[in-house]
Amino acid sequence: MRWEGVWLRYHRRGPWVLREADLRLGAGEAAVVLGRNGVGKSTLLQLAAGVLRPARGRVVDRPRHVGWVPERFPADQPFTVGRYLAGMARVAGLGGAEADRAVLRWTERLGLTRFHGVRLPELSKGTAQKVGLAQALLRRPGLLILDEPWEGLDATARELVPTLIDEVLAAGGSVLVSDHRGETARLPGAARWTVADGTVTAQAPADASPEAFVVVELAVPVARAAGTVARLRADGHHVLRVRGTPPTPPGAATSAVDASEAAGRAPR
Amino acid sequence: MTALVRLRLAAFLRTGRALAPLLAGLLALGVLYGGGRAQPGEAYGVSAVVLFPVLAWQTKILLDVEPDVQRRLALVLAGAAREWAAGLLAALVAGLGTTVVALVFPWLVGGVTSQVGPDGRSVAAGVALGVWAHLLALPAAVALGALASRAVTGSAGYGVAVLALGAVGSLVLGLSSSVAPWLAPPVLPVARATAAGPSAATVAVLTGWAVAWSATLLAGYAWRRRVRV
Repeated sequence: MRWEGVWLRYHRRGPWVLREADLRLGAGEAAVVLGRNGVGKSTLLQLAAGVLRPARGRVVDRPRHVGWVPERFPADQPFTVGRYLAGMARVAGLGGAEADRAVLRWTERLGLTRFHGVRLPELSKGTAQKVGLAQALLRRPGLLILDEPWEGLDATARELVPTLIDEVLAAGGSVLVSDHRGETARLPGAARWTVADGTVTAQAPADASPEAFVVVELAVPVARAAGTVARLRADGHHVLRVRGTPPTPPGAATSAVDASEAAGRAPR
Repeated sequence: MTALVRLRLAAFLRTGRALAPLLAGLLALGVLYGGGRAQPGEAYGVSAVVLFPVLAWQTKILLDVEPDVQRRLALVLAGAAREWAAGLLAALVAGLGTTVVALVFPWLVGGVTSQVGPDGRSVAAGVALGVWAHLLALPAAVALGALASRAVTGSAGYGVAVLALGAVGSLVLGLSSSVAPWLAPPVLPVARATAAGPSAATVAVLTGWAVAWSATLLAGYAWRRRVRV
């Protein structure tokens, strides 16, 4: 997907929210949109989704199937979770049986099964947000757009978001995520698009090369530290150091191992 | 697209917002038919006139039930053209329901007579003219209601203004002494024609007029929706 000189403002004589944005997002690539509150992150995402049209310039090569998770799910609707998702699956073009399977799969994965018969206005904010996630994933998106996806989610669901992103990327899709809380540190392979004063600055992923490393911190029981270090070394990882008892998990005597994840390669 | 039409009709019915325009329509019909028995053709012509603003209002309500973000979600999943069309189609289906109520209503309350009138027109011909009058008013009303919907006007105040001006303007400009009758949909000319017994040429002209008027407004709706989502 490419952005060619995209300008946007909300009113004819209003200020420009975005000025001459030239961006590209290839298949299998992810980008994180960063910026202060109200700077135009959601606007950028809505342009990507095709919900807003640029005043000047254009967005081309948008994948056919787009999944958009808005910042706030519109829960003020007279449907149950199951009825809503089944309806949205059909709106997305899935056939009857296919739609039912997709709804079953995503309600299970996102822990929505017990809310199946609950009406949308009765859901908590986090649960409603999960319904928002589910509707975007019912049909595998070629472009997944997540507007502050971690907002309001419980720990289990928060952990799930990077997995979902990985799945879309692995299937050749693209992902665009906005974040103002630093949760996207979990996506080290994503490009950084910073929005400020109407301009977007794209920055390639810091650690895009296969030579790049990240530090993975592990906690293992003290008794198994030596064995773990040996196994990690045998797997080709570079163990940086072993240090004393960390605060977690409570009650268990553990020891922390810093292993440099080298994807099977020799260390630097 | 039928999935989205069904979803929108379901939301319209389940939230109970369908009740207000239906009651308003029944009230107007009650006043209209309260005066005694009339010939079907004549009565139905007037019924289409009083129903025009009700159908436009009903369309605006139906299109406004959905939260803005949900409308955008539907647009992302279904595509822009299908999202617009599904909204208009849902409004048309709901309008057809109200129209059927309006056509059946006078027979239930004894508002029309089944005796052949002084002009010698049969009851079947009168009913056919009435169906024609309502079918011309419906798309024009849907187009006006769509232009008054929140997706186009952006605020509730403007929407009500567009609806009220459109409905009143259509009636005022449709009077027989009007200086610019072509600016309005032919609801009043159709009512005059059904009362007098129209010729085939009159039917063709009025049909073409209603189609052209509705198409122009719908084009305006599509044009506005290209910028406003």
